[in-house]
Amino acid sequence: MRPARPRHVSSLIASVPVFVFLVVPTLIVLPVAFTGSRYITFPPQQLSTEAVTGFFRDQAWMSALSASLQAAGVAVVIAVLLGGTAAVALHGRTFPGKAAITGLLLAPMIVPAVVLALAFYQFFISVGMVGTVLPIGLAHAVLAVPYAFLTVRASLAGLNPALVRSASSLGAGAFSVMRFVYLPVIRPGLVAGALFAFSVSIDETVIALFLQSPNATTLPVKMFTDIQYNLTPKIAVSSAMLVTVATLGLLVQVCFTIRRRSVARLLPLTAPEQTG
Amino acid sequence: MTSTVTPAAATASASAGAGAPRRRRRPRGTWLLLLAPVLAFDAVLFLTPLGKLVAASTHDHAYQRVLKDPLVSRSLLNTFEISALSTLATVVLGYLLAVVIWRRGPLARVILFALVLLPFWTGVLVKNFAWAVLLQDNGLVNTALQGLGVTDAPLALLHDRFAVVLGMVHYLLPYAVFPIFAALAAIDDRLELAARSLGAGEASIFRRIILPLTVPGVSAAGLLVFIISTGFFITPVVLGGPGDMMIANQIDFYARQLTDFAGASALALLLTVIVSVLVAIYQRILRAGGEYEAG
Repeated sequence: MRPARPRHVSSLIASVPVFVFLVVPTLIVLPVAFTGSRYITFPPQQLSTEAVTGFFRDQAWMSALSASLQAAGVAVVIAVLLGGTAAVALHGRTFPGKAAITGLLLAPMIVPAVVLALAFYQFFISVGMVGTVLPIGLAHAVLAVPYAFLTVRASLAGLNPALVRSASSLGAGAFSVMRFVYLPVIRPGLVAGALFAFSVSIDETVIALFLQSPNATTLPVKMFTDIQYNLTPKIAVSSAMLVTVATLGLLVQVCFTIRRRSVARLLPLTAPEQTG
Repeated sequence: MTSTVTPAAATASASAGAGAPRRRRRPRGTWLLLLAPVLAFDAVLFLTPLGKLVAASTHDHAYQRVLKDPLVSRSLLNTFEISALSTLATVVLGYLLAVVIWRRGPLARVILFALVLLPFWTGVLVKNFAWAVLLQDNGLVNTALQGLGVTDAPLALLHDRFAVVLGMVHYLLPYAVFPIFAALAAIDDRLELAARSLGAGEASIFRRIILPLTVPGVSAAGLLVFIISTGFFITPVVLGGPGDMMIANQIDFYARQLTDFAGASALALLLTVIVSVLVAIYQRILRAGGEYEAG
């Protein structure tokens, strides 16, 4: 493609430390999870699976893991159903107010997490929903719906709306149109949307922190609380699990991108979480 | 929007349906039925909580009160300083990564993109924890510095502004790479070839062609990164000290320590207004660039 171009070795070499800076801190949690001592040192002095087995025997960490998975389950189901139906409903239609509706659907992405956290905190107290994982799952669903909406909308981009009308005019009912026209097209979008929703929920900390209770403390909240006292190998085990989830998400995304031969299409969707 | 009905296709399908003996058209209201659940969900669980937040902020002269609080002005100043510093560093490093990825072939691009995307998929706590491990007194960075003879005693690297900015740049870097890459990818290859055939060197090609053409991408990246920076909450707590609290931490302090919900809500709305203005500018830049849709 670019035959006459020099290889730009100097910028490549200059970028190596930046790539290391970017990637290595994420990966060091994996060896740290296998630290033998009670306190963390890196590189670890001796390797052992003590922290890993200790993590899975620890009541508090297991309850945090279960809270996280429950919240993520609620978020994924709601996000995929509502984001998916919204994308199908808006596909190929122009009407006054469409921009406003799209804006509303995407709005949760731009409101800072701490603002949402405070709003949810006051709201769930006022309706008496406290002390369970459900409000956390619902709050995460609010955050995740835009991602599912965007992934499904992206998968619909190649579907000519006239195809839907042809199917209808040939006698297909609403259900058949959904089953045989829309579903095959949006399936990758639904999978990607579910993945994003899961990633958003499993990493989300601020809202879960505000909505936490003794029975509903998610993994990141437990990590956040523990980090402020001590850096223990169990936090590293939890981090290693989250990195594994991240890697799986990344692999799926890379496969999608390669299959579609389009990096650009997934670009706006590459941000599963936006609060640090 | 992604697609619109072409008039020709619409008439074609309408006339095809007109002559059919048995017309079972898709009921007109189906799409409204599909849209209703998400609108109801957002009305109850998104707009209502935000509405309550707005209502709460109007009580007890909250705005006058928080704006007079010296802690609030301090945290606003911190937010601006930390965000500006992080944004500057992120954009410079992001530009370097974007250029390097752009210069490679298709396969190398996918691999390098994957390296950028892995931290993107990782949550903030994992990254902050990793930095805390690296920067602690007996961490890798201090061990290396002592090994190199730079310092005798471990340096206190953690719990200061340097650690916060470092953690934030690490978190934000991928957000800068993508818009800048999109701007680079939009450059017509022939411009560079033409410049080279006319005798331009690498430096002048970069300065006079590539840099000017990527200004919209860079400003979009900078604004996006700045927007995300202003909402940081976790990193200042985990990596920062007491003097590095940002506006999000101040909201948390009002809500959970002082249980002053009116004050917390007023601050939250202040942050939302600032972010919304920046987002509006960001979308204007994107539309002017026309390359990279916000979603």
